[in-house]
Parts: sequence; C-alpha cells; structure tokens
Amino acid sequence: MPHLEISDLITVTDPRSGARLPVHRGEVVHRLREAGDRRAARIVAALPADRHDVLDPRAVDRLMIGVHTELQRLSEELRLGERLVHVLGPLFEAVRATVPGPLRLVDVGSGLGYVVRWLAAHGPLGPEVELVGVDLDAALVGEADRLARAEELDCRFVHGNAFDLPEAATVYVSTGVLHHFRGPDLAEFFRAQAASPALAFCHFDIAATRLAPVGAWVFHRTRMRHPLGRHDGVASARRAHTDETLLHAAAAPGMRPLLYEPRGLANPFCTTLRPIIGVRPELEAPLRRALGRAARRLVGPEQLVGAAR
Amino acid sequence: MTPQDAAPALAGALIALGLVDSAFSGFRAYAGRDARIRKGRAVVRASLRGLAVGGGLLLAPVFTAGAVLLAAADRHRAYAALAEGGIGFLVPLACYATAVLLSLAAYLVLPFRASTLAMVAGLGPLTLLRPLAVAAACAGVLVRGAGVSALLVGAVAGAAVLSVEPLVHRRWYAVPRG
Ligand SMILES: C[S@@+](CC[C@H](N)C(=O)[O-])C[C@H]1O[C@@H](n2cnc3c(N)ncnc32)[C@H](O)[C@@H]1O
Repeated sequence: MPHLEISDLITVTDPRSGARLPVHRGEVVHRLREAGDRRAARIVAALPADRHDVLDPRAVDRLMIGVHTELQRLSEELRLGERLVHVLGPLFEAVRATVPGPLRLVDVGSGLGYVVRWLAAHGPLGPEVELVGVDLDAALVGEADRLARAEELDCRFVHGNAFDLPEAATVYVSTGVLHHFRGPDLAEFFRAQAASPALAFCHFDIAATRLAPVGAWVFHRTRMRHPLGRHDGVASARRAHTDETLLHAAAAPGMRPLLYEPRGLANPFCTTLRPIIGVRPELEAPLRRALGRAARRLVGPEQLVGAAR
Repeated sequence: MTPQDAAPALAGALIALGLVDSAFSGFRAYAGRDARIRKGRAVVRASLRGLAVGGGLLLAPVFTAGAVLLAAADRHRAYAALAEGGIGFLVPLACYATAVLLSLAAYLVLPFRASTLAMVAGLGPLTLLRPLAVAAACAGVLVRGAGVSALLVGAVAGAAVLSVEPLVHRRWYAVPRG
C-alpha cells in the first residue's frame, strides 16, 4: 500500500501557472480509503467544504499554516539550523574558495521558511550569502514572508515550483521535502538543479532507519495537536527514501553525489535528518578538506555497499 | 524521622514539583504555536502563565487534604496516612523528574548530535509518559497502604497538574500566532 500524505492531496497547485486548483473532498477521501488509510480518510472527511464538496481553500490554508507552525517546533527541538550549518558551513567554505563574489542559497519547498529565517537571524553563513525560500504553496510563502518581515530578517520568499525553479542559486538546499517526490520525479528534481548553474545541492530528509516511524510517532504524538500533522509526520517517516535510492537519484550529470551519514555509519538516535549532497566534481576535495574529520561521514555510491555492512 | 515529621517538607517538595511542572506545561501549551525565530520573551510569558494556572489548580489538592483532615474522626491517624501517602506519591514523581532534568540538561548543554539523542530517547518519550508517571504516583500511595483519602488527594493533585497544559493552551494559544 502506498503511504499518502494528506497535505499533498488537499493542496493542489497547477505546476505551470502556480494557480490553486479546487479539490473535491470526496475524491480525496476515496483515494485514502483505496490506499487502506481509514484514519486519514476520516481526517479529510471532517474538513470544511462548500455545497459542491470542494474543500474550503481558506480553511485548508489556515490548517496548513497551523500544521507547519507545529512542525517548526520539531525542527527547533532537533536543532535543524545547527545540523544544516554543520554541513553548509564547510560547503560554503569550499564554494568560496572556488568562486568569488556574492552567493545565493535557495531553500526549495521552504514551507514557513524556518531554515531561511533561522539562517538570516543567526548569520552563520556570512552576510554576502543571499537567502531565498521557494515553495509551491502560496499561503505558506505569504506567511513565511510575513514572519520574516515581523522580525526584520534579511531574506525573501518566492512562490514557485521545484521542477521549474524560479530562482538561480549557488547552492540549493531543502529540508523534509525529498520524500514528497516519488518515482522519476526524484531524479528529475536533482537533474533540474544539476542542469542549472548551481555549484551544489544539499537536501536534508528523514533518514530511513527502522527507528524513524516509531520516533516520528512519538514526536508527532507529543508535539503536534492537529491529527493531520500527526498523520503526515508518521507517513513521511515511512516514505523516507533509502540511501541507495537517494544516491542513485542524485547522480545527475555534472554532479558528484555524496550521502552524509548513511545508515550504516550513523546512530539512528542521533541522525534524524541528514543530507544527500551533490557537488561539482572540482568541489569535492575542498569540501572534504573543509569538513575535516567529519568528512569520514561522507560516502559516494561506490562506498555505500561497504558502509552499509 | 517519622513520615509525620517529614510531612511539611514532603508537602513543600510536592508543591514545588507541581509548580515546576506547571511552568513546563505553560511552555508546552505555547510551543508549536509561534513560528517566529526569536521568542525568548514569549517562552518566559508562557511559562509564567503555566505557573499561575498551576498555582491556582494546586490549591485543589491542598484544600482536599485540609478537608480530609477536618472530616477525620482521628485526625492524628489521618495526618499519618496522608504523610505516608505523600511519600508513595513523591517517589515515582521524583524518579520521573530526575529523568526529565537529566535529559533536559543533556539537551541544553551537549552538541546537536547528542542533544538529539536526549530529545529522541529522553524528552520526547517522557512527555508521552507524563500521565503514566501520575498514575504511578497514585499507585505509590496505595503501595504505601495510605488509604483511600490519601489516594483522593493524590488523584486531585494528579488531575490538577495534567490540566495545566490544556487550560493554558485553550486560554492563550488556541490560535497560532507569530
Ligand atoms: C514537509 S514540508 C517541509 C517544509 C519546510 N522545508 C520545513 O522543513 O519545515 C514540504 C514542503 O514542500 C513543498 N513542496 C512540495 N512540492 C513542491 C514543489 N514541487 N515545489 C516547491 N515546493 C514543493 C510543500 O508545499 C511543503 O511546504
């Protein structure tokens, strides 16, 4: 049975125009039942809809903002910002050694923009790195922008599609997004970035350990109030891509794929999210140097079999 | 020292534990409702709200204990039973609180990787186990053979501390803000 996330089904955006499309509640409920997920079907059946059974878009937006606000708490508790900087710091150091001039980090699927706003508030990458968030969900982009302005943070948010990137970047990053892309979409996601002038990507997602669904259940149960957040949190841990899938998909032309903290090397209690990295080949050596001892956590496809043992 | 002699200290320790728990409950009622990055002041405010609500609710077990003593035919025996029950109530809670404080200290001082361990193996599951810790405390009252009146006081205290988070949440944080 496929694991579906409710949030993917109740917000549908036309990938070309970016326009919000109407969603029929009954169809979503039917799809979830077909997938054997009665609980998710009940959650959707309780959402408000008009007399044509179209989900109320404003209620859905409010719900998505609420759930993402709760989700941010998990990112805060798992120190996502520090986790990112641990890898992004050395990555930008390597990039700086290669290209002079202003740099731009683009967070794809930025949601409420926690990562971008955290980086803007703490400034660990330096002032010359422009910080941009891109997301397909206009309501989340609007809220991310409002939050950034409320705290006068130097970053911006753009409404756009990960497969048709509106913003050029030096480094593309994301957190908790990869598991939403299934089948050929995953490789396409990396390919689009590899085909751009970007020098690297660094995408963090849930490590597909055996512990991940249990940990996700405990965390979403204790930290999230809305049943949708609790449901999707566990579903996303079940949908997390394996190390092999990530390394295979990230092997886009012109990029050297590297997985940081693969399953075999990492303690599943400490590694909740970790990145799949792609760097232009000339950046690999400077990146390893900048990482220092931590470079031993980095594996390419050729090492994965050995590391997993 | 008999349990009766220790009773005031016991009551003080239980109330202090209840108040600390209330402050944490206030924090939990707020956490996840505010997506700003800098929210130190809001965290302090939420903790104080928890403390205020908890302070009020903890009067309930205090009054219940008072009523038990006033209604007792043998006040001396009732006092002894409450003191005995207090010990039974405190031991499981003290174990729980120690585990929470150790996890919290580890979370706050250790680097991010080890702090994740403190969160994943400590603070997360411990939050889930909170009602069970209260149930264990009530069971502790029975194990000490303190009787139904002491159990009643314990149950009221348990209900009071478990109510702080939902009450603070409903009163101040029902709608996400930022
Ligand atoms: C689980 S959320 C993660 C949000 C945020 N990165 C975080 O860590 O809190 C996944 C996000 O990906 C966005 N998303 C999904 N498909 C997308 C696409 N094709 N292009 C851009 N964003 C997309 C969703 O709108 C949602 O905000």
